[in-house]
Amino acid sequence: MTVFKGFLTITKRNLHIVLLYAGIFLSISIMVQKSVGKDDSQANFEQTSLDIAVIDRDGGELARGLASYLEQYHTLKDVPDDPSIIQDRLFYREVYYVVTIPEDFEERCLNGEEQLPVTKVPGSTSGYYVDQQIDTFLNDVRIMTASGFTLEEAIDSVQKNGEVTTDVTLLDKSRYGGEQSYPSFMYQYMPYIILSILCYALSYIMIAFHNPDVKKRMSCSAIPIRSQNMQLVLGFAVIGMFVWIICTLMVLVIFGKDFLQDPNMVYYLLNSFIMTLVSLSLAFLIGMLVHREDLISAVVNVVSLGMSFLCGVFVELEIMSKGVKRVARFLPVYWYEIVNDLLGNHSSFSASQRATLFTGYGLQLMFAAAFLGIALVIGRNRRQA
Amino acid sequence: MIHIENLVKRYGDLVALDHLNLDIQEGEVFGLLGPNGSGKTTAIGCLLALLKYDKGTITIFGKEMRPDSYDIKKDIGVVMQNVAVFEQMTVWENIDYFCGLYIKDKALRKKLVEDAIAFTDLEDFTKMRPKKLSGGLLRRLNIACGIVHKPKLIIMDEPTVAVDPQSRNKILEGILELNRQGSTIIYTSHYMEEVEQICSRIAIIDHGRVLAIGTTEELKKMIKTGETITIEAIALDAGTLADIRELPHVFDLTYEEQVLKIRLSGAKHNLVRILNYLQEHDITFGRVFSELPTLNDVFLEITGKELRD
Repeated sequence: MTVFKGFLTITKRNLHIVLLYAGIFLSISIMVQKSVGKDDSQANFEQTSLDIAVIDRDGGELARGLASYLEQYHTLKDVPDDPSIIQDRLFYREVYYVVTIPEDFEERCLNGEEQLPVTKVPGSTSGYYVDQQIDTFLNDVRIMTASGFTLEEAIDSVQKNGEVTTDVTLLDKSRYGGEQSYPSFMYQYMPYIILSILCYALSYIMIAFHNPDVKKRMSCSAIPIRSQNMQLVLGFAVIGMFVWIICTLMVLVIFGKDFLQDPNMVYYLLNSFIMTLVSLSLAFLIGMLVHREDLISAVVNVVSLGMSFLCGVFVELEIMSKGVKRVARFLPVYWYEIVNDLLGNHSSFSASQRATLFTGYGLQLMFAAAFLGIALVIGRNRRQA
Repeated sequence: MIHIENLVKRYGDLVALDHLNLDIQEGEVFGLLGPNGSGKTTAIGCLLALLKYDKGTITIFGKEMRPDSYDIKKDIGVVMQNVAVFEQMTVWENIDYFCGLYIKDKALRKKLVEDAIAFTDLEDFTKMRPKKLSGGLLRRLNIACGIVHKPKLIIMDEPTVAVDPQSRNKILEGILELNRQGSTIIYTSHYMEEVEQICSRIAIIDHGRVLAIGTTEELKKMIKTGETITIEAIALDAGTLADIRELPHVFDLTYEEQVLKIRLSGAKHNLVRILNYLQEHDITFGRVFSELPTLNDVFLEITGKELRD
């Protein structure tokens, strides 16, 4: 197993590259996990209650009805009818929204076109929310009085409508509250890491073993060429497995229980394993084509970063243009990301989704076979030359 | 030990080896001497089954040499023209790696690696990577990797190219030591001094053919030149040169840049006879040298060109 041991010795010399990329991967993953953990705005809905003030200059039935309607949702604070005091209270966030009901409110705002004067914290999203509630109230009252209801009936009905609540249950297809699953975020970035580590490390090793003088010396030795090649293949397999296990362990370390309980765990593992095979064959091809160490960095960056950007590793596939996606279809990482998206958004699959899943796996394997085939043909042509 | 018969190797229209015949005996330091492009490296490539050849047979240790003749290969050590080591491994790791291609026993391998390191004087550099080594040290590492498994037959293809004189002498002494320890050595070079210094038998090769073969003395006897006399003399006229040319045993003469070079066939008193002539004709002369023939003279006479052409 001399060749295999030599392979590992040279790999040890490139271990810093593996650690560097593993570190990058881990950092990105931790950052993503933290941001995913914090951002629950899309997963949950909680009605917000604001501190607001209603300054009633009208004192009529409609004005009282509006104040009462808003009180259903918010806390009404007493604020004097003085613009400078209102500004102060808003500045110190004692209130977030002040609605001033003018005299002849009914005439001017309900029957007329005049807008209610409001003062709110600039850029506040909650302010828009109160705007909507006032519009809803006035529109509903306007429609009901136009339909023949008295103002009192209309106000009473609109207030009652506001008390009605409906329970809504979201269908949790991904087990993550309608969100993409957390492990899938990590698996989304994994191709870049696997590609970079394997292409860098293995191309360096390939260059060492493909040095024509070293190759000649090894051809003169007592170990059959086939055995030497088999030992190199074993070396590739071991390094590939090592990198795949490290990446998988990082997912386990970060998402542990979530990942182990994910119904798609096996599919994720299979997808990343196939991507490892693709990366190994691509590394083999690069090692065949590139014979200078100083070129490896440039070539590997172009391949790994290029594929990652085009195929949805860094940018979601769904926001990419059709043209980019059309090109990306000819790259293996695209099919990896298609599978990953599917796994991230579903916990069970329909027949067509299952077909998409296995098509993704199959196409990646075909890419791996193609890269390997090209590399072997190049190698054979070189030997014959 | 090695028998090469009618070996023909073509690269397209170019005939690199043209019915090459060689017999190398056990215990020899056999030199393959020839200019660049003469077919030495191709012959070595065929001998090691690295190259396919068009015609002929090669037997080593009495068996036909084929690409899968691993039982023969295990007793052969190779020192390539270019340094063939792994840049990523240290000196020790490189020697150990190439030893491992022949020797499986770990303890024996350790001993052999230590021996090779001591033999090539690399003790102080075992933990260094090849990049940090000087040209001479690199060549010594290259040799250590080739001979570490103590093979019966060592093939060295120009192992001293681009090596400083001190390292070169060390390498040549090492080769003789390997031979004393029982290895048969095939040594190719275009440095005739080296070949003359260490080889017990030499084949002069050009255009893929063996032009002459024998010991240094035998080769020198094959040519007409027995002695070359060089004299620094000013303004010799054509008449004088014609007279000298007529002296006994003189068969060739050149006069360039005030230096007269006379080639004579082997005979006694050539120098005295020429000096007497110069004295009698009152010709002023400076320094005088008399040289016995070298392999370069042999090559020159056989091929009509200098060895380093």
